[in-house]
Amino acid sequence: MVDNLEQDQEIDLEEERVLDAIAAELPGISRDVHQLIPVLQKIQHIHGYLPLGSIGMVAAHFGIPGAKVFGVATFYNQFRFNPPGRHPIKVCLGTACHVKGGEIILENFTRRLGIEEGETTKDREYSLERVACVGCCALAPVVVVGEKIESYVTPSKVEGVITEIEIQNEIAEREKAKDEQQSDSE
Amino acid sequence: MSKDVMVTLTVDGLEISVPRGTKLLKACLDNGIYIPSLCYLDGMDHPPASCRLCLVEIEGRPGPLPSCSQTVEDGMVVHTETDEVRLLQKTAFRLLVSTNDGKCRLCMANKHCEMQKIAKFLHMPLRTKKLRHIPKDMPEVIEEHPCIVYEPNKCVLCGRCVYICSQQNYDFALDFAKRGFNTTISFFGSREEGVGDYCRNCRACVDICPVGALNLKDERDAFLQNLQAKISA
Amino acid sequence: MSSNPTPSELLSELTQAAEKQWQALQNPAVPVIYVGHATCGRAAGSQETIDGFRDALAEKGIEAEIITVGCLGHCYAEPLVTIHYPGFPPLMYQKVGAGEARVLVNSFLQGGEDPCFEYLLGALEPNDTFPTLMDYPRYLYEKRVIMDQCGLIDPHSLDHYLAVGGYQALAKALEKGDKWVVEEIKSAHLRGRGGAGFPAGIKWDIARQAEKTPKVVICNGDEGDPGAYMDRTLMESNPHQVLEGLAIAALAVGASRAILYIRAEYPLAVSTIEDAIAAAKEHNLLGERILGTDFSLEVSVFQGSGAFVCGEETALIQSIQGNRGMPQYRPPYPAVEGLDGLPTVINNVKTLSTVPSIVRKGSHWFKAIGTEKTPGTAIFSVVGDVEYPGLVEVPMGVSLEHLIFEVCGGIKDGKPFKAVQIGGPSGGCLPESELSTSIDFDSLRQAGAMMGSGGMVVMNDETCMVEVARYFIDFTQHESCGKCTFCRIGTRHLLEILTGLTKGEGSDDDIAELQTLSEETIIGSLCSLGKTAPNPVLTTLRFFKDEYLAHYREHRCPALMCRDLIAYYIDLDACARGCDACVACCPTEAIFTTSNRKKAIDQEKCVKCGECVYACPPEYDAVFKVSPPEMIPDQGIKPLDEKKEENNE
Repeated sequence: MVDNLEQDQEIDLEEERVLDAIAAELPGISRDVHQLIPVLQKIQHIHGYLPLGSIGMVAAHFGIPGAKVFGVATFYNQFRFNPPGRHPIKVCLGTACHVKGGEIILENFTRRLGIEEGETTKDREYSLERVACVGCCALAPVVVVGEKIESYVTPSKVEGVITEIEIQNEIAEREKAKDEQQSDSE
Repeated sequence: MSKDVMVTLTVDGLEISVPRGTKLLKACLDNGIYIPSLCYLDGMDHPPASCRLCLVEIEGRPGPLPSCSQTVEDGMVVHTETDEVRLLQKTAFRLLVSTNDGKCRLCMANKHCEMQKIAKFLHMPLRTKKLRHIPKDMPEVIEEHPCIVYEPNKCVLCGRCVYICSQQNYDFALDFAKRGFNTTISFFGSREEGVGDYCRNCRACVDICPVGALNLKDERDAFLQNLQAKISA
Repeated sequence: MSSNPTPSELLSELTQAAEKQWQALQNPAVPVIYVGHATCGRAAGSQETIDGFRDALAEKGIEAEIITVGCLGHCYAEPLVTIHYPGFPPLMYQKVGAGEARVLVNSFLQGGEDPCFEYLLGALEPNDTFPTLMDYPRYLYEKRVIMDQCGLIDPHSLDHYLAVGGYQALAKALEKGDKWVVEEIKSAHLRGRGGAGFPAGIKWDIARQAEKTPKVVICNGDEGDPGAYMDRTLMESNPHQVLEGLAIAALAVGASRAILYIRAEYPLAVSTIEDAIAAAKEHNLLGERILGTDFSLEVSVFQGSGAFVCGEETALIQSIQGNRGMPQYRPPYPAVEGLDGLPTVINNVKTLSTVPSIVRKGSHWFKAIGTEKTPGTAIFSVVGDVEYPGLVEVPMGVSLEHLIFEVCGGIKDGKPFKAVQIGGPSGGCLPESELSTSIDFDSLRQAGAMMGSGGMVVMNDETCMVEVARYFIDFTQHESCGKCTFCRIGTRHLLEILTGLTKGEGSDDDIAELQTLSEETIIGSLCSLGKTAPNPVLTTLRFFKDEYLAHYREHRCPALMCRDLIAYYIDLDACARGCDACVACCPTEAIFTTSNRKKAIDQEKCVKCGECVYACPPEYDAVFKVSPPEMIPDQGIKPLDEKKEENNE
C-alpha cells in the first residue's frame, strides 16, 4: 500500500517535470494550426506520451479550445495518454500475423505481464500495445520489443523475451551494486 | 420572381420552386415534403451528411444520395419514398436506436424527440428488435462540464451541438472525441481555468440537441426528482 | 545571344560524375558487398549481418566495400546479400546471418576460392558458371517497372539514382511543359494505384484547369492496410523515384507545394525520404528554380498519426489541417477544392513512382505492358501460406493462379489452397473456383474482391473463413472514423454477429442480417471505408457459406481455428512414456502426467495456444486438434498419483 502511494507520488512528480518541459518548449514552435498534429507528435516523441495536462497547454499555444485538441489527440492511434514502460512491447496484429496466431501471442503477454493492452505495469517496466502491422508480414507473427523486431514469435518465445529482459536487468543491477561497492571501498 | 433566382424541380410528382442554391433537403422541408434528418441545420455550407437518413433518389444519378448535400437544379426529378430509400432509412434508424435502451418515458426529450418523430414516420419501434442492444462502452451519464450532463447512449452523434457551438461562440467549447463506435462529445478542459472560459453557458447545445442527450444538470435533476415522485405516487 | 543551359544539360553535368562512379562499381577493384537494409531486412537481422561482415573483414584484413541497399521484395530470403567479387558476376545470397557472413568472408572474399553455393540464390547476370536469378520462376515471371531499382541501388545515394537514369524524366518534363505531361499521362491511361483506379491524367487535368492558386500535390504514403507494405518499400528503397514523380505531378498541375504524407509507424521511410529531399534540394532538383527553370517546388513531409481512414483523400486533408481525420462529402473533389480550399492532387506512392518511367520512355511503352483497360504493372504484397512470400510486381492481366502458384511457388508444405484475400480490409476472399480471375481493377471488382492496397493473403485449409471475416470487420470497425451511421454502428453489429459465430453462437436470422446489413452498409456509408468494409463478409458468405453454417448449427469450426470450438488432446498411444517436451512449453501448466507416465491436457486450464503441437517431437506427433471440443475420445485418463509412487519407491 505504502509502495503504491510512493509510486503514485513519483509518477505525479514526473508528470510535473514533463509538463514543465513542454511549457518551456512550446513558445519556440509555430502557431499555425497545421502544426497541431506535428506538435503533439513531437511531445510524444520526446516524453513518450501526452500527459492530459499538456492538452490544455497545446490548446492555449494555438489559441484553440481544449476540446478540439483532445478530439484530435483521441482520434489517432498514435497518441497515448499514460507513460509507456521502459520496455514497450508492441504485438503486431496485421493480417499475416493474425492468421499466424498474433492474438495468441498478445494473450500470452497479457497473462505473463498481468496487464491488458494499452496498459503499463505498475513498476513501469513494460507496456503492452497492439499495432496494426509493422510491415514485416513475411516474418509473422512479429513483436516489437523496444526498437527490436522479434520475428516468428511463439508462446515460448514470449517467455524468452521477458526472461531476457529480466536477466539483463539483473546483470545491470549487479554491476551497479559492484560499482557502488568499489566506489565505497575506494 | 425572375427565372434567374428561382429553380423549379419535381419532388414525388409535385412541382416546387425554390431559390437557386438551396439545398434539396431544405427545399423539400420548406414545401411540406418531410424527409427525416438529424445532422442537417439550416445555413450549413458543407453539411456533414453523416446521419444518412435524408436519402433520396434523383433521376439520372446513381444510387440514393443525401438530399442535404445536393443543390437544387432546374428540372431535377426527385423521389423521396422509393423502396430502396425507405429500406436504408429504416436500417439507419434501427442502427441509431440499437445503442439506446428505448426507455423514452424516463427521458427529458420524451414527446418532442426527433427520433420519436422519425419512428412514427417510418413506422419503426424505438426499442431495438432485430438487432442486438449494444450500449457504448462508456458511462451512462458523463458530467464533464460544470453544468451540462451528457448521455452517450442517447446521443446519435449528429454533431448539431458541435456546429452550433462553433457558430455561436468565437471558439467552441465542445467537440467530438475518440473514434468509431466509441465516438463521443467532449467538453474537455471546460473545468480548467482559462480553458473553461470558452463556454459561456449559452445552452445552445442543449437546445439544439434533437434527442435529449445534452441537458442542463439542474433541469435534469429536477426532472428526475419529479419523475421519482410520480412513480412513487 | 548566349542561351541559358537547358534542364537536360544541367542534369547531364550532375549525371556524368555519378555515372563514372557507378561504372567503377560495376567493375570493382575490391569486393563490394550489398546488404538489403530496409525495415524487413532489419527485422530479419541485417544489422547483425553487416556487423558480421565488418568484424570478419577486419580480422582477415580484407579490403571490401559494404553498401546498404533497399528491399528487393524477396522477404522469404532476408537478410539478402549480394557480393560482387572482382572477376565474378554479382552473386546473391539468401538468409545471410552473422555466421554466414563470416563463412562467406573466410571462404569466398578471402581469395575468391569457394563462392559458397550452399547459400547462393543466383547470379544477377547471365554467365557460364552460376545459375542466374532468371532460372527461378519468381524472377522470370515478374515484370518490374515500379520496383526495378529497389534493392539494387543505395537509397541514400542520389548518385546511384542519377546513374540509372534518375531525374531525366523531370528534365524532359520541364522542357516539354505541363500540357504535354498531362497528355502523356492521360494517353498512357495510368490509373491510380491507391485502390480506386481513377485515371491520374484526368485528375491532374482537373487540378491544372482549376483557377485557384497556389495548388498542392500530395503523395499519399499512409499505407494503412495491415498486410501491405509496398509503399513503405518504395519510399525506403528508391525515394528519389517517388520525389521525381511528385515533382513531375506538381509541374503538370502547376503546384508550388508538395507534401509527402507518410505514416509515423514508418520511421525509416520518413528519414529516408527526408534525406532524399535534402539531397535533391542541394542539387537543384527540388526547391527554388529547379534545373534553372522558373518552376519552384517546396517539398515537406507530414507524418500520419495512424488512422486507416486517412488513406481517404478528404480525411487525409483534414488531418493535415490539424483536424480529426473524418472524410467529407464529395463533391467538391480535392482536385477542385482541397487542402485549405486549394486545388489539391493526391496520388499514391505507386502511382507517382510509375510516372518517371512513363515520361522518360513514353506512353506507348507503358501501354504495351498489362491490359488495354489497365496498362502497367501491379505490386502485391503476398503473405500467408505461400512458399515465397514478399513483394511481387506483375503485369496487369495475369491470373491469380499464375501469381500464387507460379510466381510465389504455391502453398507452403504442399497443403491445399483454400482462399486468397485480396485488397486488404476492403477486399474480398476468393476461393479456388475464382483463381482464373485476371488481376486488374475491373475483373477483381467483378469477382467481389478489389485491387485495393495490393495486400494479398493466401490461406490454406487451416484458416477459418468466418474468423478471417471477423478479423477484417474488427479492423474496419476499429478504424471507422465514427462519422456516419452505417459505418459507425453497422460495422459494430457485423462484428457482434461474427464474433458470436466464431464462438458457435448464432442463428439463420443472424446470417440473413449479416447479408442485408452488409449490403446496406455498402450503399449507405459516406466514404469508401464504409462502402467497402463489408466486402470480406459478403465474399466469405458467398463462397464459404457451409463454414458459417457449421459454426452455429454444429458448433464446429471445419478449419479447426476458432478457439472456442476446438480442443487439443494427446493421443496416449502415440505419446512417448517419460517425454516432457510439451510440459515445458505450456504457458498455463495445463499438461499433466498420467498414471501410465504419459501426458494429458487439463481442458480447464488449456488456452488452446497450440504450442504443444510444435513442441511434440515429430516422431511421436501425439497432439491432436478436434472440433467441436466434445469430440475428444475418452481414453480413460487418470493422473499419476505421486504419493503412491513415492511409497512404492
